Amino acid sequence: MSTPVLAQPAPDTPVVARPTVGRRLTSFMPLIALVVLLAALTVVDPGFFTLSSLTAAVRTAAPLVVLAAGATVVVLCGGIDLSIAALCSLATVLFALWLPDLGAVTLAAVVAATALIGLLQGVAHVLLRIPSFIVTLGGMSIYAAIALVVSDAGPIPLSDRDATHWLTLYLAGVLPMAFVVALLVVGVVSLVLGLTPLGSWVRAIGYSESAARLAGSPVDLVKVGAFTLSGACAGLAAVMLVSRNFSGSPTMADNLLLPAVAAIVVGGTAITGGHGSVWRSLAGALVVTLLRVGLPIVGVPSAYEQILYGAIIVAAVALTLDRSKLLVIK
Amino acid sequence: MTSPAEADTEVVPPARRPRPRRGVSLRDAGPPIALVVLFGVFAALSPGFRTVSNVQNVLDAAAVLAVVACGISFVLMTGSIDLSAPGIMGASAITVALLVANNRNDNDLGLVGIVVAVGLAAALGCLSGLALVLLKVPSFMATLGVSAVGLGVATLLFAGVQPNVTDPLLEGWAVERFAGLAHLTWIALACVLVAWAVQRYTRLGRYAFAIGGAEEVLALSGVRVAPYKVAVFTLAGAFYGLAGVMVTSQLGAGLVQAGKGYDFAAITAAVVGGTLLTGGRGGILHSTVGVLLVTVLTNGLVQVGVSPYWQGGVQGLIVVAAVAAAVIPQRRRNQVTK
Repeated sequence: MSTPVLAQPAPDTPVVARPTVGRRLTSFMPLIALVVLLAALTVVDPGFFTLSSLTAAVRTAAPLVVLAAGATVVVLCGGIDLSIAALCSLATVLFALWLPDLGAVTLAAVVAATALIGLLQGVAHVLLRIPSFIVTLGGMSIYAAIALVVSDAGPIPLSDRDATHWLTLYLAGVLPMAFVVALLVVGVVSLVLGLTPLGSWVRAIGYSESAARLAGSPVDLVKVGAFTLSGACAGLAAVMLVSRNFSGSPTMADNLLLPAVAAIVVGGTAITGGHGSVWRSLAGALVVTLLRVGLPIVGVPSAYEQILYGAIIVAAVALTLDRSKLLVIK
Repeated sequence: MTSPAEADTEVVPPARRPRPRRGVSLRDAGPPIALVVLFGVFAALSPGFRTVSNVQNVLDAAAVLAVVACGISFVLMTGSIDLSAPGIMGASAITVALLVANNRNDNDLGLVGIVVAVGLAAALGCLSGLALVLLKVPSFMATLGVSAVGLGVATLLFAGVQPNVTDPLLEGWAVERFAGLAHLTWIALACVLVAWAVQRYTRLGRYAFAIGGAEEVLALSGVRVAPYKVAVFTLAGAFYGLAGVMVTSQLGAGLVQAGKGYDFAAITAAVVGGTLLTGGRGGILHSTVGVLLVTVLTNGLVQVGVSPYWQGGVQGLIVVAAVAAAVIPQRRRNQVTK
């Protein structure tokens, strides 16, 4: 006589992997880093924690925040956009060139143009199945060439400084308008991702693209959308740079690529996709800006800035990487 | 009712195994043919292009890129990518300019200075490899970081005053000619031969191919893959270092931006030459043909009257087109592209 072997009934309560205290702590890492940095800088130089220097710091951070926010969505999808800085430089040139003819709609035109360029990149990535870093690396080179040709390799002064004057104003006399716009971008992108299915789609594509495809998510459309957003953000960041420098130049934003990538990974967004968020990149961008502003205060020559970016990128990527997904790392 | 035996006979015959192609495939023969065609087109279009002195110019202009491409080919063979050339070349350019006879200090190390610069470059390359293998950072991120570190080191050493080289050996490389070509070009040729020998006859070169082809299989058959990956990045770093020294010799001064754009130009050359970014295909000779293609295109476009500012743009288009052309045949296979 044999007793039928019954499978143990599944436990009623599904096992939920609750984040441990340590994990909760690391998820707030960028904020903690921000506070620690602020405190450290204030200790070294008590004059740092004043309204005027903090305002100056967030004002410098504004273009970086916008650039990083756009590229974060691409990274969340598991891709990377290396063209943001070159596209931003091109956009500064376009803005300065188009301002005399287009007047008030120049801002919209530039953002639309960069969004279109981002869209093209996304389409090339999705349709031709080229890895995103190759598409955007190629794009970087193409935009730099276009910017050099249309600007004749020199800076173009703004014909009408009043056009970007509103960005240099201060809200309530304290908050720089550029930073308010940056916050608005982060807020809107976060809200759209959070309130619509878009957020889940982006996350699903980042965690497992094939699973998302099988589940019926519009993978290709979402990816193209992410690249379009990244392009549009590059255009907006360009307008902020122009409002500060009163000119457009074909290499103006080129040195923003590393800080932007650093901001994304320092914020804790995993380069493998899925894990992360846009507000994290806001915190990351502020950390990167504080480091840049803070180095001379602590007495470190600014030549170390590059070395620091390199080290931060490698360290932050290593810390946030989703190792379960990568069996073979190329 | 069908018996099991009958059912067995109805089994679809096993799919024909893909046989290795004999002879020269289009992928191998395409780039040299393209080179000849491109050369012919420009020669027909521009009288300035088809002169002997311009052919010498093309070969001399290809020298530095050829050395960078030698380094990057090994990395691409393993299926990784390397964006660290600008940083490593900058660091080695400044280092060598400060170590040989120059206007900044009393050093006059000559050849030893060159060796030290190449050694530093190899160490930076090793750093990328270690970040890839130990920290598991994807190679494009690791090398982007190392590039920034190299640029930082270069900026630190530069210290605001440009070091001008007065060393006769280093200056001679760019100026003196042998059989119509600058010494630099012969050095580049030697590099290509050495790199080809390494790829063809050493375990490092063979494993580099195998890692790109099927890393899991290689690891499962008992090969410790990690040291070879680090070695590949170190070797690549050494080649970039030598390229940085060559740029310093050309300019007569050490510049932080010595390697600007070379990473992308070298990737373009490798890809156009038939080295796949997915690894396991191509090689040094492919990349060298690619270097000549890119250089002929650059030189020819200028001769025809196109603005030199378009250079990078043309390279960008070529890379995207070449990668797309290589990927399209297998686009059904790889559903996921990141």
